[in-house]
Amino acid sequence: MSDAPILKIAGLRAKVAEDELEILKGVDLALGKGEIHAIMGPNGSGKSTLAKVLAGHPGYEVTAGTVEFHGKDLLGLEPDERSRAGIFLAFQYPVDIPGVSIANFMRTAVQAHLPEGEELDLFDFQDMLLERMEMLEMEPAFAERHVNDGFSGGEKKRNEILQMAVLKPSLALMDETDSGLDIDALKIVSGGVNKLAEENPDMAILVITHYQRLLGYIKPHHVHVMVEGRIVQSGGPEIALELEEEGYKSWQAHELSAGA
Amino acid sequence: MIGELMEGVTEALNGAAVGRVSTREPNWLRERRDHAWDVYERTPMPTTKLEEWRYTDLKKKLDLGALKLSEAPPAPDRAEAWPLRLREAMALDREASGRIVLFDGHTVHTELDPELEAKGVVLCSLHEAVESHTELVKEYLATQAVPPEEGKFAALNAALWNDGIFLHVPRGVHLDCPVRITRWFTESGAAYFSRTLIVADTASRVSYVDEFLSDDFEAQTLTSSAVEVIARDGAQVQYVAVQRLGRGAFYQSVQRTLAGRDSTLDTLNVALGATTTRVDLNARLLGPGANSDMLGLYFGDDNQHFDFNTSQDHVSDNAGSDLLYKGALDGHSRAVFRGIIRVHKGAQKTDAYQTNRNLLLSPHARADSLPNLEIEADDVKCSHGATVGQLDEEAKFYLMSRGLPRIAAERLVVLGFLGEVLSRLPLGGVGHKVTRVIEEKLGHDV
Repeated sequence: MSDAPILKIAGLRAKVAEDELEILKGVDLALGKGEIHAIMGPNGSGKSTLAKVLAGHPGYEVTAGTVEFHGKDLLGLEPDERSRAGIFLAFQYPVDIPGVSIANFMRTAVQAHLPEGEELDLFDFQDMLLERMEMLEMEPAFAERHVNDGFSGGEKKRNEILQMAVLKPSLALMDETDSGLDIDALKIVSGGVNKLAEENPDMAILVITHYQRLLGYIKPHHVHVMVEGRIVQSGGPEIALELEEEGYKSWQAHELSAGA
Repeated sequence: MIGELMEGVTEALNGAAVGRVSTREPNWLRERRDHAWDVYERTPMPTTKLEEWRYTDLKKKLDLGALKLSEAPPAPDRAEAWPLRLREAMALDREASGRIVLFDGHTVHTELDPELEAKGVVLCSLHEAVESHTELVKEYLATQAVPPEEGKFAALNAALWNDGIFLHVPRGVHLDCPVRITRWFTESGAAYFSRTLIVADTASRVSYVDEFLSDDFEAQTLTSSAVEVIARDGAQVQYVAVQRLGRGAFYQSVQRTLAGRDSTLDTLNVALGATTTRVDLNARLLGPGANSDMLGLYFGDDNQHFDFNTSQDHVSDNAGSDLLYKGALDGHSRAVFRGIIRVHKGAQKTDAYQTNRNLLLSPHARADSLPNLEIEADDVKCSHGATVGQLDEEAKFYLMSRGLPRIAAERLVVLGFLGEVLSRLPLGGVGHKVTRVIEEKLGHDV
């Protein structure tokens, strides 16, 4: 852990773009190579907003603070530039793109990740996609389906993991990946994430979740608790278990008393 | 020689012009032109007070008085001498049963598979067909399908048409590859009037692709097209119009299809170019078992204006029609879709559907969709639907978060959106071409 962090967030404040509503109220966080961090927190605490802000969602505006990714400023980049720099956001609510097959979408994305002027070899791509799907135990026919169009909740999340497997990010942001999944789907999805982490031990993962459940499958090295736009506690995996027993109430109460 | 050329250049659209274009024609045809001109003069120019022209203000969009009949000299029948864009368009047409290339309305190249010729297939200019296939031309030219009484433009076209294509497919003959017509226009400020007459005899099969191409025009240029397609009993016909004219063009097309018993008569209108596009398409289902799929694709940017006016006339019982028009609109472009399903008295067991979907890529683009039903039978299945959607920020963000630059993201969404129409093309050899020309237009926007 002596390496410089992959991601370094300092004093980050952000609000809804066309509103004065401030959601992130000064977030500090650093992720090192190969580290898995979890951010837990109640609904509305700002944890999903943090993931979206890091990916460059146009619905939010950063008002203060800095974010460095591999030592370079991240906040000045467009969402596509962030992706090409190595950030991947697994969406809580993946968007359906009718008429566009997963294979076509991924081919376009992989092409976009290549240096300018370099042409993707379609046969190499096809082989790579099939290999990635095999690793995630997916049927090849899945690639011909239209992106998230008519997908079940589980299929949507698996599709996110497939995209992550294809794009091989150095930082994966997993926004409520467990929401809407039954236990079997949860096992499959987290199994996929673990395989990718194994394959690429340098990849850092930031897991955003409301429940401890997911953390039984994707085991974090560090857990942070976010309440009302701030990280209020950081520690080891044991924090997740404490939260399981006590809930967030004590934190919210703590916040209130601290504020009073 | 110089005098003749000068005279041509100054030929306005008037009664004298009718006389000139019909000089060497038989009397019956000259009478038809004169009659059409009468109808034209009697018919007032449509205004926005008419429901069918509510969103296309001709006073602002078309200056007929400034147009001259095209008198461009013929181009050589040497492909090397043709413009690159024309040659590229033709290079995409790999398979063809027959071809005609028109250069400013002059037929410069005609070819037809000799085997098909031996089977009696006729593909030639309408002028030739007037002599060689008088009976068929007399029966169908501007009579049952697009008579001058259809409207101001139908009348003007019937009076002044100066280039035309005639295709006759005899009984039982199947064409496996499309017949391809490529039209190239060069004369800025000109008016072109073309007619297409397709007669597919009993149980024949043919696909026909009519492509309109040009560079941008400095002055407004009118390409008027009247299309008459007749499918006799059991015939399978597909008519495809691909409009890729340059800016400055006013593309106006009146199309009518007459579908006989157990025939299939499908159409596809692809509109990508021109400043203004106006298509009046009427499908008539005339015999039981007839079916028409009516597909449309448009993609606009800048200040392009598209107006599609369609009707599905179920004259016969037990016939089907299914219309799907989809368009994407960027910049300040605008589309109007007005469609009506008319189920005539006694047309029981009709299945008729109509769908128009629009995707707005820019906050300044606009789409109006006006679907309509007029049903005079009680045992029918009919539906219509229209949507106007936005390419929302969330979808764009999703695609961009995978590394796609904004333009590539939009392009993918548009191709996906329009792809539904392409996947429904029943006869081969067309989808590839249409996909490529849409991609070309998407590329042009980068």
